[in-house]
Amino acid sequence: MSDAPRALSVTEAMTLAKRTLEAVPLRVVGEVSELTDRSGYKAIYFTLCDGSSVMPCLMWRDQYAASGVVMRNGMLVEVSGTLTVYPPKGRMQFQVRTLAAAGEGDLRLKVAALARLLEGEGLMRPERRRPLPEFPDRIALVTSPRGKAVHDVIRTLRRRYPVAELLIAGVAVEGIGAAASIVAGLDAAGRSGADVVILARGGGSYEDLMPFNEESVARAVAACPVPVVTGIGHEPDSSIADMVADLRASTPTAAAEAVAPSADEVSARLASLRRLVARGLLQAARAAERRIAIVAHHAVFRDPRALIATLAQRVDAAAAGLPRAIPVRVRRDGDALRLLEHRLIASGDRTLERAGEAVARAADRLADLSPLGILARGYAVCYGPDGRRVVRSAASLTPGDRVRVRLHEGSAGCVVESTRIEGTADV
Amino acid sequence: MSESPTPPEEIRFSDALAELETIVAALESGQLDLEDSLERYERGVTLLRACQTRLAEAEQRVTMLMGELEEDADDES
Repeated sequence: MSDAPRALSVTEAMTLAKRTLEAVPLRVVGEVSELTDRSGYKAIYFTLCDGSSVMPCLMWRDQYAASGVVMRNGMLVEVSGTLTVYPPKGRMQFQVRTLAAAGEGDLRLKVAALARLLEGEGLMRPERRRPLPEFPDRIALVTSPRGKAVHDVIRTLRRRYPVAELLIAGVAVEGIGAAASIVAGLDAAGRSGADVVILARGGGSYEDLMPFNEESVARAVAACPVPVVTGIGHEPDSSIADMVADLRASTPTAAAEAVAPSADEVSARLASLRRLVARGLLQAARAAERRIAIVAHHAVFRDPRALIATLAQRVDAAAAGLPRAIPVRVRRDGDALRLLEHRLIASGDRTLERAGEAVARAADRLADLSPLGILARGYAVCYGPDGRRVVRSAASLTPGDRVRVRLHEGSAGCVVESTRIEGTADV
Repeated sequence: MSESPTPPEEIRFSDALAELETIVAALESGQLDLEDSLERYERGVTLLRACQTRLAEAEQRVTMLMGELEEDADDES
């Protein structure tokens, strides 16, 4: 037993372990967790892990500050230093001397550099952000055709705004070629006639989101002819696509809600429009009414004579002026005319007088010629047996004929006693 | 008003709303005569009815531009 190494004290054993461990410098990559960074402590403490093992770490505050790295839980870091033992607690830990972001950290630096580049080009300026259409008729969705995101958007749109048509570009959102696929999807969406585009994917690790940090995707988002809303669920990280989008929503569902008005909002809007249209008509009717009232109030309609009042007055004025306006010559002619008229009437009268006298004389002569006048002088007329024919010759009579003799006054019926023809010397 | 207006069932929803707003503005301007106002009012009512019908009866049309949609187990339809 004396040949055997003597038993060590605990302190000796721990010191041996400490020296052995500290003799081997190491570089270790792992994910940060359980980060403790309290200003009162001389060191910061954290744990590095890789999914199956954990390694407690400490780093002196001044060295940490010198590294320029700001650690966060979940971050991948590369540390150098040595394992050591803290004898009072019997605890092994890694004494970190240098610290650098690793893997994802490199990605972050790359992403930050791209963000700065695009920002320098002005692609992230707030004034570049376009307003979303209030009532989109067509909504394009660029996302994976598998998984939760696409159905979250479909459900949300169906619930809120089924009026819009939904166009889906199913693309690969992770793995090799994802960026190219997303770019193709954005291009198809931009050419689809959609009013707005949703670029979505469900949550994932930071690396999973890398396609949305690709320059080609960022430029495709910026170049899209219609507004793009991102719903890339990875709060609090934002991707470059988020930064250049017109609106960044936190999740696919939130993006769908941002894009579509709710049916309730639209109904309310319609109701308000209905009221406005009705009110507008009422206003138009009132305006027409007022105009009618103004016209009706006009003097013309209150007293139609007013319509001709001016004209009537002008006629009156003209009438008054007219005699004065008749030329003197015409008046003189008028006088002459009246004189002529008198003379004409006078001469007419005289003509009539003369005519009257002539007529009287003619009448006298006519009286002389009248057979009645002859009878008055003592002659008689003999009418034959028929009582109508005047008897001019005794030869036409036979004794016994009854004749009628017309005298100056009255007549007498006579019977022929005898006839005699006395030569040619008739009475 | 001289060209015949688009039938309400053919007009895009957003265009119908925009036209409604134009009608309201025209009616409120007071520049229209009564006949014109009535004509616009009638058009407005037609558009409103069409919009409400569309809103109530709409079934979202989904078209795939690229890829094939995988059915969702949670999706009730």
